[in-house]
Amino acid sequence: MLKVQIQEQIAILSLDRPDKRNAMTPEMLTMLDAEIKNCASSVRALVILGEGKTFCAGFDLKQCADDPSGGTMRQLLTGLSTVVRTMRAIEIPIILGVHGAAVAGGCAILGGADIVVADEHAKLGYPVVKIGVSPAVSAAFMMASFSPGAVRTLLVDTELISGLEAKRIGLVHETVPNRDDVRCRCIEIAQELASKPGIACGATKAWLNEIVEPMTNNAQEGLETSLSLTGTPEEQERLAALWG
Amino acid sequence: MSEPVILELEGLIATLIINRPDARNAMSIEILDGMHKAVDRVATSDASVLVITGAGRAFCAGMDLKAVLIELSGDPALGEQLLTSLAELTLKIRKLKQVTVASVNGAAIGGGCGLTCVCDVTISHKDAKLGFPEVDLGICPAVIAPWVVKKLGGGVARKAMLMGGVMSGEQAYEIGLVDHLSDDREGLAELTKTIADRLATGGPKALSATKNLLNEIDGSFDEAILLKGAKLSASVLATPEAQASLAARLTR
Repeated sequence: MLKVQIQEQIAILSLDRPDKRNAMTPEMLTMLDAEIKNCASSVRALVILGEGKTFCAGFDLKQCADDPSGGTMRQLLTGLSTVVRTMRAIEIPIILGVHGAAVAGGCAILGGADIVVADEHAKLGYPVVKIGVSPAVSAAFMMASFSPGAVRTLLVDTELISGLEAKRIGLVHETVPNRDDVRCRCIEIAQELASKPGIACGATKAWLNEIVEPMTNNAQEGLETSLSLTGTPEEQERLAALWG
Repeated sequence: MSEPVILELEGLIATLIINRPDARNAMSIEILDGMHKAVDRVATSDASVLVITGAGRAFCAGMDLKAVLIELSGDPALGEQLLTSLAELTLKIRKLKQVTVASVNGAAIGGGCGLTCVCDVTISHKDAKLGFPEVDLGICPAVIAPWVVKKLGGGVARKAMLMGGVMSGEQAYEIGLVDHLSDDREGLAELTKTIADRLATGGPKALSATKNLLNEIDGSFDEAILLKGAKLSASVLATPEAQASLAARLTR
């Protein structure tokens, strides 16, 4: 479910459910959170990638639809929020690479990364309102990272945008022409960052977090807003319709 | 000895020139004191626009590294003194009723680049060099980080400050660090004059009320975070990691 590779000073964590387009399960998010914390003390930079053809298609909605109580959806939302907060909190820089697609929860996780690389043709977005889910859980970290106007549009619109458009609005920092180049470029950036003085890098990341804290301190409220819609008839009907 | 800072007050446009070209206009205590005095004078003048630029080839190379290397200065307190003065200077510039313009004639590095982010408008040319290489030197750009975040947004600022290095004027224009770009260094003065003249056509009360509102909305009056940044930056600066890296840089 999660592949861990250590290359000298950097760690590479890869979502590893390629036959499901790396759809997130509660277990995967728990493992990811634990591994990120583990790496923070043993390496100087962290890369997050996906195995197979795409980075991540979001939550495993089949599992959600199979659980009408909404419990799985709640675990996923809570797990996602925890992972994003952990990514921010650790002192080493995190580089995230999107190849192919980063959709819904798979796109929300970008909010925790320091540097995001995507291929020009990758598809990114949050089409979650379509299934009756509120993307509020991701809003705080998105607002703190890129243009609030663009965040607003992206969270209410179900359209997917390209890697190039994502770079234009600031969701992505850098694009590469092909999806096969993403991994290589992320590792290159991680190696460069790992070679920089660690104390300065860690202090700078922590300080940048503190500066935007007025915008991120309502992350918990966002999670609760998303949780409040789970198990509602709107969500259940829309989820069931996906598999009907 | 020539004045560390030159202030020209002509009609509606004031021009502040950082004048230490042999040290790429690096910010020493003398430069910072001179800038404080000049900005105080601008505040009480009838100018509508303040243009900040550098004498010679550079805009401002950042903090005077020789002054913050304890081995050279012999004064461990000097780093924090400089950083606190810079923090106060940035807030003083931000609070000016005048519209402020950074005319980046050459290198704007570290604190010098942070200074451009404090200004309302930044003008430069394609071949200028801008950036935040603090982390490369083992130091933390904490004083200027709040201004960089306000100028670029949190995400772009994060990459610029964590990746370090410098970029061309053209790249700086692409990420929004520069607002207006001339094709070459020679064209910068004319472009700056055109824009400063245009800004000066605005009603002084309308301009200052607008600035004040924008400052309130984006939390620009938060002095505490700047002073905390100065302390943080000074504490990182005093670490053996930073001192060793600065010493290596200066003796290279």
